Amino acid sequence: MSSEEVEMEGACPTDEIRIGVYVCHCGLNIAGVINVKEVVQYAQNLPNVVSAKEYIFMCSAPGQDLIREDIKKCKLNRVVIAACGPEMHEPTFRAVLEEAGLNPYVLEMVSIREGSSWVHYDNPEAATEKAKDMIRMAVARARNLEPLEKMRGEVKQQALVVGGGIAGLTSALDLAERGFEVHIVEKRPVLGGHAARMGQLNVEGRKIAGKDLVNYLVEKIKDNPNIHIYTNAEVSKVDGSIGNFTIKVKIKPRYVNDKCTLCNKCVEVCPVTAPNEYEYGISERKAIFLPFDGAYPSQYIIDPETCTFCGKCVEVCPENAINLDEKEKEITIEVGGIILATGHDPYEPPIGEYGYGLSPKVITLHQLKRLLSEDGPTKGELIIDGKRPKNIVFISCVGSLGTTPNANQYCSRMCCSASLIEALHIREKYPDAQVFFVHKDVRTYGKDESLYWKAIDNLVKFVRFEESPKVTVDKDEVKVEVKESTIQERLVIPADLVVLVTGMVPPKEIENLRSLFKVGCGGDGFLKEAHLKLNPVESLTGGIYLAGTATGPKSIAESIVAGSAAAAKAASLLSKDTIEVEPIVAVVDEDKCSGCGICVSICPYGAISLEKREDGTRVSKVDPMLCQGCGTCGAACPSAAIQQNSYKDKQIIPQILAVFER
Amino acid sequence: MKPVMVVGGGISGIQAALDLADQGIKVYLVEKTPSIGGRMAQLDKTFPTLDCASCILTPKMVEVARHENIEILAYSEVLEINGEAGNFKVKVRKKPRYVDVTKCTGCGVCMKYCPSKVPDEFNLGLSERKAIYIPFPQAIPLKATIDAEHCLWFQKNICRNCEKFCPAKAIDYEQKPEDIELNVAAIIFATGYELIADHSLLTDQYGYGRYANVYTNLEFERLVSATGPTGGEILRRSDRRHPKNIAFIQCVCSRDVRINPNCSSICCMASVKEAILVREHHPDIEVTIFYMDMRAFGKGYQEFYDRAKEEFGIRFVRSKPATIVEDPETKNLIIYYEDTHTSTYKAEEFEMVVLAVGIKPVVPDSFVPVGEDMFAQVKDPYLDPVASPVPGIYVIGMLNSPKDIPDSVIQGSAAAMKASILACKSE
Repeated sequence: MSSEEVEMEGACPTDEIRIGVYVCHCGLNIAGVINVKEVVQYAQNLPNVVSAKEYIFMCSAPGQDLIREDIKKCKLNRVVIAACGPEMHEPTFRAVLEEAGLNPYVLEMVSIREGSSWVHYDNPEAATEKAKDMIRMAVARARNLEPLEKMRGEVKQQALVVGGGIAGLTSALDLAERGFEVHIVEKRPVLGGHAARMGQLNVEGRKIAGKDLVNYLVEKIKDNPNIHIYTNAEVSKVDGSIGNFTIKVKIKPRYVNDKCTLCNKCVEVCPVTAPNEYEYGISERKAIFLPFDGAYPSQYIIDPETCTFCGKCVEVCPENAINLDEKEKEITIEVGGIILATGHDPYEPPIGEYGYGLSPKVITLHQLKRLLSEDGPTKGELIIDGKRPKNIVFISCVGSLGTTPNANQYCSRMCCSASLIEALHIREKYPDAQVFFVHKDVRTYGKDESLYWKAIDNLVKFVRFEESPKVTVDKDEVKVEVKESTIQERLVIPADLVVLVTGMVPPKEIENLRSLFKVGCGGDGFLKEAHLKLNPVESLTGGIYLAGTATGPKSIAESIVAGSAAAAKAASLLSKDTIEVEPIVAVVDEDKCSGCGICVSICPYGAISLEKREDGTRVSKVDPMLCQGCGTCGAACPSAAIQQNSYKDKQIIPQILAVFER
Repeated sequence: MKPVMVVGGGISGIQAALDLADQGIKVYLVEKTPSIGGRMAQLDKTFPTLDCASCILTPKMVEVARHENIEILAYSEVLEINGEAGNFKVKVRKKPRYVDVTKCTGCGVCMKYCPSKVPDEFNLGLSERKAIYIPFPQAIPLKATIDAEHCLWFQKNICRNCEKFCPAKAIDYEQKPEDIELNVAAIIFATGYELIADHSLLTDQYGYGRYANVYTNLEFERLVSATGPTGGEILRRSDRRHPKNIAFIQCVCSRDVRINPNCSSICCMASVKEAILVREHHPDIEVTIFYMDMRAFGKGYQEFYDRAKEEFGIRFVRSKPATIVEDPETKNLIIYYEDTHTSTYKAEEFEMVVLAVGIKPVVPDSFVPVGEDMFAQVKDPYLDPVASPVPGIYVIGMLNSPKDIPDSVIQGSAAAMKASILACKSE
């Protein structure tokens, strides 16, 4: 078959194509196996090839000069380089083309080193023939390569941080200190997330109250002119793409403004009580309340779900800070990058799981932390059902490692250490209390192992199970029954307090986040990072980064580091005025597109959307700033309406057909 | 705006360098060995995705090499640090490679003709390299280095084969150490780790070095690697045949008050991964892992551990073996242990044993204060988790605390963020 016969529609006329072929020796890597002279002679005789040359190292300065001079002298308009794979030197040779006045995308690299000389080192003749085949194919492809232009987009030098927990606050502060304007959107009326309510923390012997940790950040954030805080607010719409997002934020009414002095008069007269969700339900609050001691912003909030709008608070407020007619507001912000620090929810055991909800003596680890916190409802005194508990049993892996039918399969990472911190706390504060840690594996990894050692020294009793323990509640009596797997005996531990060490689950609103921001979730339900190992704080969607427990369980210290890491990614984007995007992206032939939407559903980058045509039918649109050129849509399109630049049928099919031209 | 220096070209340092450079900040990346890549370059695959380590690392290394804002100072060491945060003066010694890097093209001809063979540190001595060498095929920079201690010219004034055969005329026996002074705003140390493989416990209790078929986990990683000394074939040191069964012993020199009370964080999953690789390569080899607690804490790790048990049939025995005795004839290894699930004492014969050896940080001399456990101190594990107590100096990766690759990468990015704030304030 001749080259003319494989010419396809849309290709350039044959007489205008002038191809140069450059075969690299790569020292002996190629030339030690392949007969380069023979290959060059062969290439010289291929259709449209006007120059074919060899050199010991094409990537070296003299090699590059050779190509540049040839491009000008022979008036080349396509270049084929037979050398190594494109990973290292494609950018090198693209620059060579550009310097010689050619479009950098009319380059084709053919890897005769990895694809032939290295793998066929024991058969030089066959390796030489294969190199010829590969070059013939490359020339066939190069004939139909088209010049492409890189796309540029403007970058708005502001960031959005969704979530005002410890990770989000860290991201925001880092970006602000780096000089960028940041908008924090927090759905709750206060900042600080779970960390603010975590009681005493302890890493490597460093003890600090969660509240103080949050306050440390809040103090800096409050005074930083680059930071705008929106609490009680939610993102309602996201338009645009990397570098240029338009965000709509709904700010729900607080009904109390910043004139509030926390005088408590309104709370006293409020007739409505409800369980305080900020104390994990262990205490009650009014409909007008401060979520927890030290919360920021430090002003009351009215919960419209429970408030009867009776107006008593308005009457007593000496500052006129309450306005029951306040309405929801919507604002629009424009940002270049987004950090999702949307956190997690604590696992909530169903009623009856390990006796949860059946007795006041069965509580979760979060509730225990509030009870042991000096700013908690009992001012740090551990009182259960009116008494100080003597026998305290922690049951680990509640909601994790598939220990119950309702549990997740994954490990929640921080719970072993978090429990031992509290176990030690109890042993220190109440030396007569007996503490049992009923566990599967003890996963105090890294330096947290010191907590395990300390707990052993402080006589915390470790009880290992394979089969999940049973908690029986009989009126006032609670017992934990467990088969200890080391001594192989069934133990029955009478408990004054059972602490369920609950893990982390994705937040309730994760589905909404997914569709708003076009980010993916993994099998565990948490947001998915671009690469688990090497891109752990980037999403697959350009310009959107992930911090803290949004991607899965993490300790507070780890969430803080991840907050800074996500900020670094955003800073890299925001430090540029414009971004350049590779033009090797999917393009839709609108005449062929049936608007079926298959491409929209399978695009891993959320780069395709359906738009309405004038006649009302639908058509796919690719956002070239988001497309990563993976080719998935092209393969899936039932109408063959999607092609990818540089990998169009007219480029690939002649390349394949050239295999048979030998 | 002043540049930032990153010391250590492993994955943590690479990430820090890239995240600074991407912000438009000039970076000096100092690496003491001839190539960046660090420990990760030695790994075959990574848990829990079983991604080929080189396949995901090499693109990042190439990105470093190509980045206009990164200057790699490989085969170089920091000698002296003066000044303060925002304005450090750092003296760096570029060690002589005896190869002109502007001419060397990394073709490898010299390695072919060099007659002097040296144990290959990249393969942990399981194979040999030449006295002139490129540590591994994807090395960056891809330049040859003469190891003068083993070079016949430097030792005996003979040979000069490399010079004769170098097609680029790049050999320069006259090269001298070159000291340079660099002015930087901040310094990030990411000097990594080594195994605690020199402790007598390994030899005394488990016969490492005495028994041919006892390996460390890093040696085994090379053995199972397609780019390793056997091309991925698992062959016993004693008789070059496949073992019928392999035992992994966890927490060797970790979680041990006598040696190192810390958990090394990575060895549980590393052994699970290596065990899976064994079963993938040779489904007939039986694998047992002796463990204390399976520290499958990271994202996807528990699921990976579950797969090891259910899909790959790997046996897990909860025990810390007491000792190993070698059968002098077969060179098989008898492990004496208590199975804590059944409270019984047992002796079981294995044909190969892999010790999951704990890690210790490589401490950058006196430049950062360290704790009792030799890990670098941090200013505050909550308020400033990647900062050294010395202002303007950051400590990340394994130097900071035991951690896996994702956490090392996250710390790399986090330190880049903090250092960029300093760099932008400097003039």
